[in-house]
Amino acid sequence: MGTPKATLEWHGSTLLRRVTGIVARATSGPVVVVRAPGQELPAMPNGVEVTEDAREGRGPLQGLAAGLAALDGREEVAFVSSTDAPLLHPAFVRRVVAALDGEHDVALPRAGGFPHPLAAAYRTALLPDVEKLLAADRMRPAFLFETCRVRRLDEALLLDDPAVAAFDPELDSVLNLNEPEDYEAARERPAPEVAVRCYGALRSRHGAGRSPVLVRAATLAAAAAAVDLELDEHVVAALNGDQITRDPDEPLATGDSVAFVAADAGG
Amino acid sequence: MPDVPGGYFGRALVVDVTDGAAEELPLDEQTLRRYIGGVGLGTYLMHRLAPDGVDPLAPEAPLAFVFSPLVGTPLTTSAKFAVVAKSPLTERLNDALASSHFAIAGKLSGHDALVVTGAREAPSVLLVDGDGPRVDDAADLWGLPAAEAEHRLRERLGPAWRVAAIGPAGERLVRYATVSHDGRHAGRGGLGAVLGSKRIKAVAVRAATKCATAHPKRVLAAARDLRARSFGPATAKYRELGTLANLLAFNALSTLPTRNFQEATFAGAPQLAAEDLAEARSVARNSCASCSIGCEHIYATKGGGQARVEYENVFALGPLCGVADPDVVLSASARCDALGLDTISAGGTIAWAMECAERGLIDAPWLRFGDGAALLRALDEIGSRTGLGDLLGEGSRRASAVVGGEAPSFATHVKGLELPGYEPRTLQAMALGMAVNARGADHNRSGAYEADLAGGHDRMAGGAAQAAAAIVTEDRAAVMDSLILCKFLRGVFADPFPEWAALLSAVTGWDVDGNELQRTAVRIVLAKRLFNLREGWTRAEDWLPDRFLAETLELESGRSATLTPERLRSMIDAYYAGRGLDRDGLPDAEQLDALGLHVLAA
Repeated sequence: MGTPKATLEWHGSTLLRRVTGIVARATSGPVVVVRAPGQELPAMPNGVEVTEDAREGRGPLQGLAAGLAALDGREEVAFVSSTDAPLLHPAFVRRVVAALDGEHDVALPRAGGFPHPLAAAYRTALLPDVEKLLAADRMRPAFLFETCRVRRLDEALLLDDPAVAAFDPELDSVLNLNEPEDYEAARERPAPEVAVRCYGALRSRHGAGRSPVLVRAATLAAAAAAVDLELDEHVVAALNGDQITRDPDEPLATGDSVAFVAADAGG
Repeated sequence: MPDVPGGYFGRALVVDVTDGAAEELPLDEQTLRRYIGGVGLGTYLMHRLAPDGVDPLAPEAPLAFVFSPLVGTPLTTSAKFAVVAKSPLTERLNDALASSHFAIAGKLSGHDALVVTGAREAPSVLLVDGDGPRVDDAADLWGLPAAEAEHRLRERLGPAWRVAAIGPAGERLVRYATVSHDGRHAGRGGLGAVLGSKRIKAVAVRAATKCATAHPKRVLAAARDLRARSFGPATAKYRELGTLANLLAFNALSTLPTRNFQEATFAGAPQLAAEDLAEARSVARNSCASCSIGCEHIYATKGGGQARVEYENVFALGPLCGVADPDVVLSASARCDALGLDTISAGGTIAWAMECAERGLIDAPWLRFGDGAALLRALDEIGSRTGLGDLLGEGSRRASAVVGGEAPSFATHVKGLELPGYEPRTLQAMALGMAVNARGADHNRSGAYEADLAGGHDRMAGGAAQAAAAIVTEDRAAVMDSLILCKFLRGVFADPFPEWAALLSAVTGWDVDGNELQRTAVRIVLAKRLFNLREGWTRAEDWLPDRFLAETLELESGRSATLTPERLRSMIDAYYAGRGLDRDGLPDAEQLDALGLHVLAA
């Protein structure tokens, strides 16, 4: 690729900023980024934790071990994603995490004819098993799946979730960028379509009507710009009626609803 | 008169209306500097003048109109006064603010506060001007709406007189009756009932003197600067649409209390939205005296009337009662104004009764969520204390205790004060702020919702950030309510405490700085807590109703908003720790001594 994947740009933000933001939106726990020793990382959301591979170049199981170790004792389940997933959707993450029931240790999506261990959910208690495999130089995720209880999620099962079916019908969440052509193809894709509403005085000042405006925007800043709004200290946004943010780099995903309100909301 | 700081007279007038006897209570400079004015000074006066354990509706219970050093200066939004007493609704300290010319005329009668004690045999008015206090007959005013009484009294006395009056609800001791002036209400906590218990229909004041500031040129320069800033983006919401702009946004954020807090979104919200109503119904925009913001939006009502529109009125009489018809909601708001009822407590109590009726806990088949006619009937019955209104006039806490069974579990109050329009489960710093505040569930003494809505923390989680937000916003409110400045101005201050200190310094001549004002804030917050402690407060009162801790809200985003008792307990512990209180919410002697509060605690 010539450039670290984490720093690749996609519709206004780096891939790492986007993926960490999407995972943070879809989960309630901490977000941990595993990097190679000494690797420089682009900016990420506040609160994202960084840990390092114990040894460089040992593949995904090494990264999985570092990530699970960072979460050890704090969370029972971790969603694991690669950084080169620009189309990862929060609904997909939620679906996979929810599929990891008490009978299984891994929820493993299978789409396009392949399993996707870097878009899967793992029980953090698997850490000793992963470490054993690493010690035995058995570096492929498939070896782990031989030793634990895996719930395989085929396309039908994934699309059984209404939100996934509506917002990620092609299961683009599992799309990786392995070659420069993959990256170029991803960049050709339009930014997600999101619905924007302005409330209160913002509505009248920015000509927005009662109905939401559909715009293409991969970040909050892009959504604001699309309705001619400047994200200054007097404006905040709520995503899907949930969390409130004023971070211009907050990633948006297809189907998101963005509400811009005056920052001095209240009596 | 000894030398007094600029902006003060150094005295309060205490009038026993039983026989009209009056005395001047000297207020020394140390006391004024420690408590400033408004809510702070009012709290001090209640410590001094309210007998321990007094029945708020007994003749001995004092009620104070408290001014502040900034009143009468050209500083924008400074024409405000606090009404302070022990609340008949909460049995705890209560302060409520109102604005405009009464503040200026009352202060320029030559007093930093007017305190009313005693009780009359017959309906009366208290008059205060340069000739001293006197009590007149007011039989002809009894039964009138406050605005009408105010109008007639000024016709009788002359236009230089300014009047604060109660409506029929106050006369009938509805425990959430208001005191109003020029259409604005000192609304929360039932202070109108305190005046009603004294059979004082109104207090009329007339300016008799002037009050010098220490540094007039500095005051004028500060006033010009503040006025210019008051036209900026931080106050745009209030100018352009008023606080009703909250409604549709809160609906989008799942924080619009609906059907007695059973839901946090309301399908009828668009019908009540300022964005559309303003276009169709706005007829005027008004300002209080000395205010350059102009937040008051007046809408036309069905039948040719007009109503002042605020978010809290519309939320409480609309979504909270399941009513979406704007004509009904505006009429209900106007009805509350005429009767002299706090709209939040009225709506909260009626919404609770609607749920009781639907569950079969009270025999009122006519009372149903969404029924506008039932809402209006309930308000009339409360104002006249007839039918079900006699029970509902007691407020949701007392009424639910009478009904019994499961009714108290969904009576949405803290310390007896009904919740304002902020859903605690989706605004959890605010949940804490409401739980611990001395006045009860309140958005003006704890503005922690600001932090929830700013995006700096997860508004549906609870922790150290939420506790810190509750403390910071409570401290800021304590100072703003004592200076007094309107909270709608809060967004124009980049560094509030030093900026407020500069204003206070220019007016008084004190070398006060931001650090001193922060200590003052803590002192005022703890002085309120000490008063409540004296009156029987226990840690169990710093809590939220069961509904918020037992029922989960399912949000459109797919998330569940839950507030567990454990989380609330943890946040309260963090709040106590942050305030230097022990685990029972009590201050220690060293802290009291350092703040000069040991005298009050003795």
